[in-house]
Amino acid sequence: MAESAFQTGEVRFPKTGGTWTPLPNDTSGNKVRSHAVQTINATPEQIFNVYSRIELLPTWQEGVVSVEETGANTLHWKMEDPGTRAPVEFDSEILEAEQGKRHVSRITSGPSAGSTVILSLEPHPAGRGTMATMITDATVPGGWLTNAITAVVSRRPQQITTENLRHLKELIESGEIPTVEGQPAGRRGISGKLKQILLGENMPTPPGTRENARPEDMPTRNLLGSTPSKTLTTIGLIALPILVGTVIWASVSGDD
Amino acid sequence: MKAICWMGTGKVEVHTVDDPQIINPSDAIIRVTRTAICGSDLHLFDGYIPTMESGDILGHEFMGIVEEVGSSVTKLKRGDRVVIPFTIACGNCFFCHKDLWSLCDNTNPNARVCESMYGYSGSALFGYSHIYGGFAGGQAQYVRVPFADVGPIKIESDIDDEKVLFLSDIYPTGYQAAENANIQPGDTVAVFGCGPVGLFAIASAYMLGAGRVIAIDRFPERLALARDYCGATVIDYTDGNPSIVEALRDLSNGIGPDSIIDAVGMEAHGVDAAAIYDKIDQALMMETDRPTVLRQAIQAVRKGGTLSIPGVYGGDLDKLNFGAAFGKGLTMKMGQTNMHKYLKPLLDRVYAGQIDPSFLISHRIGMEDVPQMYKTWRDKKDGVTKVVIDPFRESGIEKLRA
Repeated sequence: MAESAFQTGEVRFPKTGGTWTPLPNDTSGNKVRSHAVQTINATPEQIFNVYSRIELLPTWQEGVVSVEETGANTLHWKMEDPGTRAPVEFDSEILEAEQGKRHVSRITSGPSAGSTVILSLEPHPAGRGTMATMITDATVPGGWLTNAITAVVSRRPQQITTENLRHLKELIESGEIPTVEGQPAGRRGISGKLKQILLGENMPTPPGTRENARPEDMPTRNLLGSTPSKTLTTIGLIALPILVGTVIWASVSGDD
Repeated sequence: MKAICWMGTGKVEVHTVDDPQIINPSDAIIRVTRTAICGSDLHLFDGYIPTMESGDILGHEFMGIVEEVGSSVTKLKRGDRVVIPFTIACGNCFFCHKDLWSLCDNTNPNARVCESMYGYSGSALFGYSHIYGGFAGGQAQYVRVPFADVGPIKIESDIDDEKVLFLSDIYPTGYQAAENANIQPGDTVAVFGCGPVGLFAIASAYMLGAGRVIAIDRFPERLALARDYCGATVIDYTDGNPSIVEALRDLSNGIGPDSIIDAVGMEAHGVDAAAIYDKIDQALMMETDRPTVLRQAIQAVRKGGTLSIPGVYGGDLDKLNFGAAFGKGLTMKMGQTNMHKYLKPLLDRVYAGQIDPSFLISHRIGMEDVPQMYKTWRDKKDGVTKVVIDPFRESGIEKLRA
């Protein structure tokens, strides 16, 4: 079916096109909305299977310590800020989980209750795999201020959405997440360490399939063939900006 | 282990650092038997490539023996002799499948940094700044090689290291430059710069059917190799020639070369007012690169011709006559080398005796000699045309030509 769309000889005009609608990427009050889009060389079902496996969440999402099932559609998350190691815990629930197409989850406890993440999957029309779109709508203490400050000292909340979908793609396509953590180097000195922070290299890379990943996080190597868990969510990916925002907002408020 | 570390602009030092370890399951650890200084390392040495960090291990041309492999590696085993391509590719993304290996989606841990500067990120490179991933390089006794089943090519004969070492970069880079030049049988091709990539580009242009190759440089030792090994007609641009554009017009029967290869890049030199302007502009940080050669190439190439650009550019160019490129209907092709595509066919040309890539080596050195040799090559002294390093030899410079 997709092929017929590209049989140029059959094209006739007039031909109705469309109008582009921008995906969310803004801050308003305490809301930070962001999106990421990737083409992933796998089927929608394969991506959904990896995305939805609870035990894999800490291997590709930043800052996830552990995720536990607490009910048929509910999870309890433990996360930590990659820079400060400050912990945060919260609960989440699944609102929609349509295999190979769409997944929606929501935070249900804490100051950011109501934050949502939507993953949409669609086969690429030219056979390049799957178009994956991730949209986060987060309640973040500090809103735009958090977004601005964390761009310097940590991950910008909107960047976290980008990095999480990128890491998911890397894990699925290449079987691991690229990293230079732990490689040898000469003396970094002050300037070298400062540059590492400015380039965001102080943020740990999620372990992917690394040998030193925590045992409970280790996926089987055959990621794409795995059976999906019945409980699905990646809501944790918006908890980092919430955590960072809470810390920054608390410190700013304290100065008032 | 000992490794060559970038410690600031104009400062390269030998450091004792930790041995590399397997980190990801596709990694291999290589004991380096030969490595080299690349002309593009001089851009790092001179501080023109952003995002270098003190302590970075340099080097992207290296080969060696497999010491250890990660749990998912199936094609290599301990003891295999391999040459490592300088671009790191996953082998399974859209770009790898299209033979655009240097544009791999999945190997740059700092892709976000590259995206902020270039829009999208290419593949990671060994030892070539953090915008390209920050991977430790191969001017060291050992190196970690990610995606070891995808990149390294096994050398299953007893051929000398030095005859295959340059498969790691400059030989494929010169070849891709010629391929990108869209050479038709009998064409006239001009190559700016007779450094290692330029020399391989000249030879490759003939392999692809060029009728005549014209080579431009100012250093006698390079021009001699271009003329006497690669078969080029050479021009010394400092030798009183009125202008390169005029010389190339005369040498191409009045229409300009069919293709021009810019094997110089961002640190071009020249003798005209534009070259002086570029020096000042770059010093004032009004432009990151000196496009002196690119300007001349746009002017000199024939109408409807092709510019191939293997020379490295890092950022913004000033006063580039893009109208001339448009007005003449030029095609431009450029970029990092899609290494993995060329390893096997170019190794076959070596085995067939068509070319001995070691022809351009001028110096063999040990590790303690490396910092001085960066300066010597940067200053174009002592007849340097290519420097090869034995990482397990402490010191001792062996000069191959008088």
